[in-house]
Amino acid sequence: MTDTDPVDRLLATARGEPVDEPFRVTGVMMQYYHVCKRELWFESRDLEIDRENPTVVRGTRVDDTAYSDKRENLNLGMISLDLLDDGRVVEVKPSSTLTEPAEMQLSYYLWYLDRVADIERDGVLAHPRERSREPVELTDERAEEVEMAIRGIHNIVSQSSPPPAEEKPFCDSCAYHDFCWC
Amino acid sequence: MDRNYHVFSDGRLERSDDTLRLVPEDGDDKKYIPIENAEAFFLHGQIDFNTRLMSFLNDRTVALHVFGWEDYYSGSVMPKRGQTSGKTVVNQVRAYEDSQHRRQLAAAIVRGSIHNMRTNAVYYNGRDHDLDDVIEDLEAAAARVDEELPVDELLGTEATAKKAYYRSFNEILPREFQLTQREYNPPPNEINSLISFGNSLVYANCVSAIRATALDPTISYLHEPGERRYSLSLDLADLFKPVLADRVLFRLVNRNQISETDFETELGSCLLNESGRKTYTKEFEETLERTVEHPALNRKVSYQYLMRLEAYKLKKHLLTGEEYDPFQRWW
Ligand code: SF4
Repeated sequence: MTDTDPVDRLLATARGEPVDEPFRVTGVMMQYYHVCKRELWFESRDLEIDRENPTVVRGTRVDDTAYSDKRENLNLGMISLDLLDDGRVVEVKPSSTLTEPAEMQLSYYLWYLDRVADIERDGVLAHPRERSREPVELTDERAEEVEMAIRGIHNIVSQSSPPPAEEKPFCDSCAYHDFCWC
Repeated sequence: MDRNYHVFSDGRLERSDDTLRLVPEDGDDKKYIPIENAEAFFLHGQIDFNTRLMSFLNDRTVALHVFGWEDYYSGSVMPKRGQTSGKTVVNQVRAYEDSQHRRQLAAAIVRGSIHNMRTNAVYYNGRDHDLDDVIEDLEAAAARVDEELPVDELLGTEATAKKAYYRSFNEILPREFQLTQREYNPPPNEINSLISFGNSLVYANCVSAIRATALDPTISYLHEPGERRYSLSLDLADLFKPVLADRVLFRLVNRNQISETDFETELGSCLLNESGRKTYTKEFEETLERTVEHPALNRKVSYQYLMRLEAYKLKKHLLTGEEYDPFQRWW
């Protein structure tokens, strides 16, 4: 294990610089870090999810269809984000309850664009079912939060075991539910 | 949970647009079988099929389990898995090669298996059968299970337990179905034939359950890898045989739903014929669909899904180091 700051390792990995131990954080990992750390650990290993789980299928569908007419998908190595036609980064949040994870995922995209590609963009958090949109900006404070989260993610995924299961209200709709609790 | 389809007639199985068509050899009407929600097809007759059918089943991730005549299960044609996991297989092999870890898993399976045999004995003991000494012998065997024992001794302990357990069959079943000795290839009499057929159905269902994970079905802990093609399935099947195969057998025989006319007897062998297999698989499939409240998942799950969960549990143990608790009937 090197003791370089995970944030630096992530940036070096993203920029294609030679790194001893590449470190990647995807948007989903950033989201799971704020939803459930056990789920994050599962996601970081090559565990499959139960694709027959109806909630998982529903979740995917909201993402795929909302704003499909005016979205452009941009793939940037470890992240893949959606741009509105005015150039803002859009993140669709599937439900109004879990706002923070979606917000952090979006903030991570903005941070990544800024630090890796040197592009400054604003973001929109959109909730198609409620027809609401919320602007999200990368403030210094937010950037600091993103970097803290990257370190937190690194800490979780480098453990050899996942954090123990804790019952949460959204466990029922978690793709790992049966695997996690059986 | 997806269901199994059993095909008993001889003929041809083919793709017909988006469905499957069975063309029986004896000129009976063609049958269409829905492929949505199919977990596996069990072929009991002589069936021809071509590569077009194979790729169709592959796309739909449906397995074929081929049931032969004498030894019942003869093999499976498994769809290619959508996802594979190198890490899972590496951990599976590591646990096998670490003799302490292997013994620990083998002991867990034997413990679960004896527990499930004992549950059957206790159930029938409470129903006018005197099985006290069988229960005692099973408990004695359970007490000998220790993770420090070498794997062949653990297998031996399970075999001793099974011997005691099979004595209960003579108490539970009518005189015509006495089990003097457990024999396999080919089964010499009705009761051996029923046990063999039921066990091969449990085995094939465990093959399907394992396929739903990225576990390698050939790497096993209690049985020696490669003993049969899918030795991990033998490990898991040991846990489920008493709950599935044996209970089905007791029910069918005691209700006179299976009788001598359901067998074909030849010199030294006795095999279930088509009508016997049909009766058995019907009851077996109904049992797979039965549900039970799962204490950790907080919902009802089918007996069939319990096999899937067992594969998940093993995989979780191998990847996370969290304890593996074998399936032990809790209801
Ligand atoms: S089921 Fe609940 S505890 Fe388990 S991974 Fe999913 S959200 Fe986390």
